[in-house]
Parts: sequence; structure tokens; C-alpha cells
Amino acid sequence: MKRKFGEEDLDLVISYILILGVLASLALETIGIISYYSVNRTLTINLQPNSALSGAGFFSYAGSIIHGTLVGVWAPFEILGLGIILLMITPYMRVVASVVYFSLTKNTKYVFITLFVLTILTASLLVH
Amino acid sequence: MLTVLVISIIAGLLGALTGLGGGSIMIPVLVGFGVPVKYAIAASMVTIIATSSGSAASYVRERITHVKAAFYLEMFTIVGAIIGATITSYIAPRFLYFFFAAFLLTSFYGLSGHLRQEFPKRVKQDRFSKWLELGGSYYDQAAGRKVNYKMKNALLGGPGMMVAGLAAGMLGIGAGAFKVSIHELILKMPAKVSSTTSNFIIGITALAGASVYFASGLFFVTLAAPMAVGATVGALSGGRILNRLPNRTIRYLFLIIVTALIVQMLYEGLTSP
Repeated sequence: MKRKFGEEDLDLVISYILILGVLASLALETIGIISYYSVNRTLTINLQPNSALSGAGFFSYAGSIIHGTLVGVWAPFEILGLGIILLMITPYMRVVASVVYFSLTKNTKYVFITLFVLTILTASLLVH
Repeated sequence: MLTVLVISIIAGLLGALTGLGGGSIMIPVLVGFGVPVKYAIAASMVTIIATSSGSAASYVRERITHVKAAFYLEMFTIVGAIIGATITSYIAPRFLYFFFAAFLLTSFYGLSGHLRQEFPKRVKQDRFSKWLELGGSYYDQAAGRKVNYKMKNALLGGPGMMVAGLAAGMLGIGAGAFKVSIHELILKMPAKVSSTTSNFIIGITALAGASVYFASGLFFVTLAAPMAVGATVGALSGGRILNRLPNRTIRYLFLIIVTALIVQMLYEGLTSP
């Protein structure tokens, strides 16, 4: 017999997204800090305005960082950036998962509610 | 970075013990160490995603968190957070110190624990809350039974959460105690559902605020990385020792810390140019 999706499936998926996202990002930050030290021999915090994360919006920054790591640029600053991107994308992904879930279970009002949350977040992340 | 790491571990630990959350402690202390307040707020916003999502994961799996209520309320908190973070990006830092002190002052209100009801009884649900499917059940381990509950006043809870989101986005904190008060006093959630749902909402609210700080160029990885790692380690260990400490110790700790933080923020506000 084919089992229908239940709310417990959504809860399970969300909890995996959250825990995996946070663990992976904290691991990257730790590796990033260590490699920052091994390259620069110092742990000074860099607050120069030109070292602020920004660029042309969140998604394009994320794209360039991920592209950089794919072509093998594993500089400390990029590892730290990747960790932060991963951390920010973690709650975002659980909203995406919920939109999918409520669409599959045809719960129209919650499709709209979750889509509203997703739209606002996406718009806010696109602004630069 | 090492200093920030140590500060964040301690802040995360004390934040978990007192229920203040890491951000409210971390920001005043970092400012005391000379970090510009806006940078501290921006980095704290991202840090909060880690501390809240980490603990939210297990409560969602145990099905104590009410995911639907969370999504409904998040519609309001994220709008509030975006407005709040935008305000912070533009106003003079001096105002932020005073807002921070004022917000800490409201947290004393949470000390009057008699307002809390572990399991609200006989909640008469209104039509809107029913339409939103705001009700459910969870298994309460301490009580050893399944708890059924219904929420009410969803219409009123929304704007309340927008204010909570505004404060969170503006000051780079979770504003968890504030959210919990709204959940319990207005929506009539049971205590455990309320605190775990608030934790879940904080992650998304922090993301909304963080997106604004990201765009404003206030965000620095070498500051945020040690904060995120430290605060999470601190919060996890704080959660572990919480049950072993007597309530009286926790209350004194709370009083001392909040008073010290208020004095620190007022001092910064008065001496800043």
C-alpha cells in the first residue's frame, strides 16, 4: 500500500536540513579559522570596509564562492565565506522543503503562507 | 579571533543558562572590546542562525514545535526583521545603545514567572485560528502524558510578532523571551510548544535580518566565524548544565548579568560622540 505524506515526514526532513546545515557550516568555519592562521600566522580580525562580505547580492556571492571551491580555490577567506553561506542557506532550505510538502499534500492556505515567507526572503537576499 | 571565540563561548553558555540568548550578551561585551556596534549586531545575526537551528532540529523531530504556527508567525517576524535591520543600517550608533538598554530592561518582565501557565486550560478557539489549523498534541516527558492543545487570537499574535521581529532585526538578537511571552499570553501555547516554536522562528527571522546586513556591507567573516563556532559550543554546554543548577542561582545570575549589560550599554551611549 502506498503511504501518504504525513506531517511527521515534514518534521523529519526539516530537522535533518537544520542539523546537517549547522554541523557542516560550523565544521567549515573551524577549518577556515585554522587555515586562516596557518596562512597568515595571525588571528587578527579584519574589519577593513573592503573585506566586508557583499558584492552583487547574496546569491551571486554564493555562486562565486561555490564556483571558486569547485575550481579548487580553497583560500581561508573563501572557506569562511562558504561556511557563512551554508549557514544562511540552512533556514532558507527548510522553507523550500515546506513549500514542496504543502504543495504535495494540497494544503492551499499553507502553500500561500510558506510561499509568502519564501518570496520575502528571496527578495531580501537579492537586494544589494 | 581567539578573544572573540572565548567571549562567544561564555556568552553562549550564559545566554543558555539565563534564557537571554547569546546575542544579548555577546553584543555589549564585543562593543566593550572595541568592535563597532553595527558590525557586532550584523555578525550576531548570523550566529543566531547556528545556535537556534541547532537546538530547533531536535525539538522538531520530537514534534513539540508547531511548524504551521511557526510559518504563520514568521510572515510577520521577517517583515519586522527586515525593517529593523534597515533602520540599524542607517541610524547613528548612539541610538542603538539606548534601544539595546531599553530592550534589556523589558527582559526583567520575564522574571515574573507567575504569568506562565504550563498547560493552558479550556482555550476557546476563534474561527481564524481554527482555519489556520493551530492546534495539536505532543508527548510531554515530564508530565508523562500526551498533551492536547488549541491556540487562539492568531489575528492579534501576528502584529505582536512583527514587533518582536523588529527588535530582533534591529539589535541582532533572537528576542526569544519576547516571542515566548506573545506565544503564551496571546496565543495560549503550552510552555514547551511556545519555547521550541520560538526557537524555530528565530532562525528565519535572523536570516531575514542577516540578508539586510549582508547587503549593507556590515558583515565580516573573520568576526562572524569565531562567534558562530563559540556561541554554539557555549549554548550546547549551557543547555547541559542548566538542569543541575538551582533556580535561585539562575535568577541571581540573570539579575547581575542584565544589570551589568544595561549599565554597559548606557555608558557606551552616553560617551559615544
